[in-house]
Amino acid sequence: MTSTSTIIDHEQFRKLFPFMFVLDQSMKVLEIGSALARIVVEMVPGSMLTDHFKLYRVGQNGLDAEFLQRQTASLIVFQAIKSNLFLRMQVLLVKNPDRYVFVGSPWLRAAAELKDIGIVLPDFALHDSTVDTLQLQQNTNVSLREAKELNITLERRVADRTSELSLANAELSRVMQSKDDFLSAMSHELRTPLNAILGLSESLCEGVYGGLTDKQSKSINTIAESGHHLLSLINDLLDIAKIGAGKMDLDWTNSNLEDLCKSSMRFISGLASKKKISISLFTDPIASTIHADQRRLKQILVNLLSNAVKFTEAGGHISLQTRSNPERNAIEISVTDNGIGISNSDIERLFRPFTQLDSKLSRQYAGTGLGLSLVLQLAELHGGSVEVKSELGKGSCFTVSLPWSESKSHFPQPAPGYKNLDISTDRVAAKGPLILLVDDNEINLSTVGDYLRAQDFCVILARNGLEAIQVVRERKPQLVLMDIQLPVMDGIDAISILRADPTLKSLPILALTSRAMVGDRERCIEAGANDYLTKPVQLKQLTHVILSHLNHLKIK
Amino acid sequence: MYGMVNKAIQDLVTIKFGEDKWVAVKRKAGVEIDSFISNDSYPDSLTYGLIGAATEVLGLSSDEILFAFGEFWVLHTAKLGYGDLLSSAGRNLGEFLDYLPSFHVRVALIFPNLKPPRFENSDRLPEQITMHYFSHRPGLSMMVLGLFSGLAKMYDTPATTTQTKFKDKGDDHDEFVVRWGNAMKV
Repeated sequence: MTSTSTIIDHEQFRKLFPFMFVLDQSMKVLEIGSALARIVVEMVPGSMLTDHFKLYRVGQNGLDAEFLQRQTASLIVFQAIKSNLFLRMQVLLVKNPDRYVFVGSPWLRAAAELKDIGIVLPDFALHDSTVDTLQLQQNTNVSLREAKELNITLERRVADRTSELSLANAELSRVMQSKDDFLSAMSHELRTPLNAILGLSESLCEGVYGGLTDKQSKSINTIAESGHHLLSLINDLLDIAKIGAGKMDLDWTNSNLEDLCKSSMRFISGLASKKKISISLFTDPIASTIHADQRRLKQILVNLLSNAVKFTEAGGHISLQTRSNPERNAIEISVTDNGIGISNSDIERLFRPFTQLDSKLSRQYAGTGLGLSLVLQLAELHGGSVEVKSELGKGSCFTVSLPWSESKSHFPQPAPGYKNLDISTDRVAAKGPLILLVDDNEINLSTVGDYLRAQDFCVILARNGLEAIQVVRERKPQLVLMDIQLPVMDGIDAISILRADPTLKSLPILALTSRAMVGDRERCIEAGANDYLTKPVQLKQLTHVILSHLNHLKIK
Repeated sequence: MYGMVNKAIQDLVTIKFGEDKWVAVKRKAGVEIDSFISNDSYPDSLTYGLIGAATEVLGLSSDEILFAFGEFWVLHTAKLGYGDLLSSAGRNLGEFLDYLPSFHVRVALIFPNLKPPRFENSDRLPEQITMHYFSHRPGLSMMVLGLFSGLAKMYDTPATTTQTKFKDKGDDHDEFVVRWGNAMKV
C-alpha cells in the first residue's frame, strides 16, 4: 500500500487544508494553514492554541494531549476567542514525535458571516463543500424572498379586487334600493287608480248608485275583471321582486289544509263553472294541518288551479289532492288536470319568470308567465319544492311538497275574542258608527265613502294627517281609516300623535294604503295602527274588517 | 435560461427607462408573464425575444443593451440576491477573476438546467489576466465585456478589457485580456 506522503508533498497538503494547524503535546502551535493564518493573525508558531481558541463543547474546558487522544473519532469544534470564527475540525495523531494535526474548515451558518469573519471564497479549498452550501442557501433565500414578494403582490391584488367588489356591492345596493323605491312608488301609483276602478265597479254592481241595465252590469263586470287581473299582475310582480330581494317574510301559522284547499277552489270555481270544468277534492285525513304561511300557500294553490282551469278544455276535469308522506316528512298537494299538457322539453323552462311556452299559447291563454315562477319561489321559501308530470294532449299534474311532521300536526283552537265573532251577522253598521276616512285622493274618498255610507256608516272626511288629528279631537269618530302617503302630515306621523293621546288609546285606526312594500306594514303597526290594509281593497272585505274592530272594541 | 436573467432584463428596463417601456418591451416580445421566478427555467427564445424587443423599444443597439445588461447584472441583480457571496468572491478584482472559473462550476451544480458558460483564465500577471469564455449561446460577448466592466466598478478599480478572440469570427471561444493598475499603461 502506498503512503499518502509518497503521493502528495507538504505544500500540496497545505493547499488541500488551508485552515489546518498542528500542535505539539503541550498544545503549542507548530504550524498554521495559509487561510487561517490570514484570518487569525496572532496565531503564529510558538503561541499556545488556548490563546486563540477554546473548545466548543459542553462540560469540557481543558484541552490536553490525553483528551485529544480520545477524540480521533469525533468532530471537534473550536471557537475563536477574539472573533466569531468557529472551526469544525478533525484531529489526526502523528507519532514520533507526537503531533496533533487538525484539518477542517470554518463553520458558517450564513453567507453574511463571511464578511464578518473576514473570509473570502478563494480561502476555501476547492473540494470544500462549504461554499456550495452557502450558494445553495443564498439561492433558497432568493426563492423565499420572491415568494414573499409574490405574496405581497397577490395580497395587494386581492385587496384591490376586494375594494372594487365593495364599490360594486355598494353600487348594487344603491341600485337595489332604487329598484325597491321604484317598485314602492309604482305600487302606490298603480294601486291608487285601481282602488277607484275596483271600488266604483263594486259599488255600481251592488247598486250603491242605483240600478243597472244588464248591458251596464255586464260592462261593469268586465271592468272589474280587468281591474282584478291587473291587480293580480301587480301583486305577482311585487311578490317576485320581494322574493328576489330576500325581503319576503313568511307568516308561519298552523292551518287546516282542507279549509285552505276549499277556499282556494272557491276562488276559481266561477271560472271553472263557466267552462263546465268539474273540480274534485281528495284530502288525506292524516295531513289535516300544515305549518305554513296561509296566505302564500293559498296563493300557490290558486295559481296552480287557475292554470289548470286556463289550460283545460271545456268539459274537462281538475282534481286537488293532499297526501301525507311521512317518509319524506312532507305534505304533497297535487293539482291534476286533463288539459293540453306540456312537452318534456318545455317543462325545463316552465318555472322561469315571464315564460309562456309559445306565443300562440300566450295569445290563446291570457297570462303573464309569472304565476309558476312565483309558485316555485314560494314553495322554496317554505323549504319545499314543485314537481311536474305532464304529457302533451293528456294533461298535467303539479305537485307541491312542503315540509311536514306528523307529530306536530295539530290545529290550534281559535283564540277568544273578535276572531270568534260572526261578523256577517253582527251588523254594528245598523247603529251608524262614525267613521273618519282620511285620504288625499278625491276619487278614493268618494268611492270608499259612498260605499260605507251605503252600508249605514256615518262617514266624515279629512285630506291630510293634520286635518285628521283635528277632526278626531272635534268629532270623536269610532274608527279611523288612515291613508299613509298624505300631504302636510303623513299618516304615520298622524297615527303616532293620535296614539300618544291617552284618551284615544282604544280608538281603532286602520292604515289603508297603496304602499305595499316590505316594511310598510311594520311601520304602520309600529306607529300604532291596529290593522293594515292595502289598496285596492275589496269594499266588502273592508266593511268586514271595520265591523270586526268595532266589535272587538265593544267586547273590551 | 433561468428566470433570474429575465428578471434582470425587466429590472434593467424598468429602473433605467421606466415601467411603461418595460410594458412596451413585453408587448413587443409577446410575453404575458407578470413576474419571473428566479429559479424557474424559461426558454432561451423568450430571453432573446426580450432583448430584441428592448433594442426596438429603447432605440439602442443590441451591443449597447448587452453591455448595459452585463454591468447591471453585477451591480444590481447578482448583488440583490447573492450580494454576500459576490462580495466575498475575492478581496480584489484580480482575486475575483482568479476564482471566477470555480465560481461558475459551483453555479452549474446549483442550477442543473442552466447550461452556464465556462470561464478559464491564463497568463496571470500582477495586474493582468486573460479570461477565456466558452458558451453554447451565440452573440453574448458584449455582455461579458459589460460583466468585467461591472466587476471593475464593484471593486472601484479602473480597468480595461480587450477582446482578443472572437467566436463569431471563427475562433473556438471568446478571449478577453483584463488589465488594471499599472498594466493599463501598457
